[in-house]
Amino acid sequence: MDYLDGVTILLVVLGLVGIGIYTLMISRSLIKIIIGMQLMVKGVLLAFVLAGRISGNMGLGQSLALTIIVVDTIVAVVALAMAVRVRRRFGTLDPRALTTLRR
Amino acid sequence: MDANMAVIGLLALPFIGAPLTYLADRLALRRGDQPRFGQWIALAILLLSLYCLSVFWFSSPLQQGTWVLVGSVALHWDGLSVLLALTTILLGSAVTLFSGSYLAEEKAHDKYFSLLLLMIGSIIGLGASNDLFNLWLWFELMAVSTYLLVAFYPQEKGSLEAGVKYLVQSAVGSVLILLAISITYTYAGTLQLDGIRARFSDLNSALWVAGVLFVIGFGIKAALVPLHTWLPDAHAQAPSGISAMLSGVVIEAGLVAMLRALMALGAAEIHWGILLMGFGAINMLLGNLLALRQHQIKRLLAFSSVAQVGYMLAGIGVGLAYQQPVALAGGMFHLFTHALMKGLAFLAVGALLYALVLSHRQHTPLTLEDVCGAAQRYPLASLTLAIALLGLGGLPPLAGFMSKWQILVGGFSAQTDASVALMILAGLNSVLSLGYYAPIVNRLYRHQPSEAVLRGNPVPNVMILPLLILSLGILVLGFVPSLMNPINDWAALSVLGLGMH
Repeated sequence: MDYLDGVTILLVVLGLVGIGIYTLMISRSLIKIIIGMQLMVKGVLLAFVLAGRISGNMGLGQSLALTIIVVDTIVAVVALAMAVRVRRRFGTLDPRALTTLRR
Repeated sequence: MDANMAVIGLLALPFIGAPLTYLADRLALRRGDQPRFGQWIALAILLLSLYCLSVFWFSSPLQQGTWVLVGSVALHWDGLSVLLALTTILLGSAVTLFSGSYLAEEKAHDKYFSLLLLMIGSIIGLGASNDLFNLWLWFELMAVSTYLLVAFYPQEKGSLEAGVKYLVQSAVGSVLILLAISITYTYAGTLQLDGIRARFSDLNSALWVAGVLFVIGFGIKAALVPLHTWLPDAHAQAPSGISAMLSGVVIEAGLVAMLRALMALGAAEIHWGILLMGFGAINMLLGNLLALRQHQIKRLLAFSSVAQVGYMLAGIGVGLAYQQPVALAGGMFHLFTHALMKGLAFLAVGALLYALVLSHRQHTPLTLEDVCGAAQRYPLASLTLAIALLGLGGLPPLAGFMSKWQILVGGFSAQTDASVALMILAGLNSVLSLGYYAPIVNRLYRHQPSEAVLRGNPVPNVMILPLLILSLGILVLGFVPSLMNPINDWAALSVLGLGMH
């Protein structure tokens, strides 16, 4: 693998994770927060493929990435289900409305 | 049955039991009956697991641990795995016994015990994994089952809010863990914990980043102080049995997973130890100060969990930083006694909550004013709550004193300024914590019964039984703390890496 390719992929990884964290910080909607989490996970997937390639075991890196996709889907489903419940119960998706417990 | 069969059974039983309990309760609900079998199936599964664990304990060659191959995944059973499994199964059995009548009125009753078994099974697996990725998989399975259990009352606003907060923070933490794993894998070329440890004699800057990401990611679950904000909401809003499990084993499972990952990067173990000591000091102080100003009992207990994690961190940190197996074993002992005491406290509060609030089909939280004079109508629930609280405060003939004492002894025998200062802080914090435990006991016994107590319904006997069992355990460990020594010492040795050879 070209050295430059590795650096490019690394930059994409950092970019995706960075955009994800930024989305988490500024979003005013639960759906966007979930999208931000998904973006971070996509960056991490790429990191695993890259790690597999660098350490000379492409198969392992890719199979780890596949496993992460499966687990992450489950988390996303649970998160979206909760977002639906929040919308029905609170009438909004804004996380700032979730303040019944603050004191 | 030999040791290998026993540990495979230990892993498989909860996952066989989970669908069974769901089917049993679901079918009963379909027929319009009261679901009853799920609870007893779950209890039978947990007792069988306990039997498997005892078979393993008596047949395994101590110190080395046992390797088990499941498919191509190697699991390593050492002292830490056994300690975590024992804690989880014991507390899980008590919670199972308790929860049947607690949840009798709930619509989602059929999902409760199968999710509980899933959680218990994944924590047992987490303790035994010897592979970073595997560790993350078990950790995530545990997290998903707890998300669903925290948001167990979906019609309650508070429960949803706690669930969302917990899910978002915990999911971000797990992404950070994944990032750290990918960094470690890039440099080490392997995911085996002992393989990674053997690979590095010194950490480069990328691996330091990985280590810090491990601390943050697992620290969210282990409630290290700036990352603890999900904890009071989740603990206070979950059903009481789940609060007991969250506080008693789930945060400790996060701690164990963090230790495993950090010991893979063990070349810097002294620095990790000092870092954990620092977090221990902050956790104790802030947890206690925040607990002092709470009015809802479950929230108060949740903040006291933050403080108690501080003691474990202090013991473990001193153990790692100065190579003190005694302090490390003390931390492990406190992990176990805290599970008993905090589990008992949450279950006893749960019994009162059931009698005073839930059985009137309400969902308001239980405040300090509500439990005034509860001892007159609920003598056993109040007595066990008092035992749990005084044990957590560290009064002598109870288990909490013994485990804190061992941490203090370990810290003082390290004979460095930092460890001695930390231990003095820990001692002072124990006194501070009595500032909120003792008033609850005072209210239970010396106040006039409140209105809520006078209107309360009786507590079913089956809810009292697990309370009595747990308080018996606390008393026995208080008088004979050496009972747990072999397991604690073995766990400490496995953390320090001495148990592997």
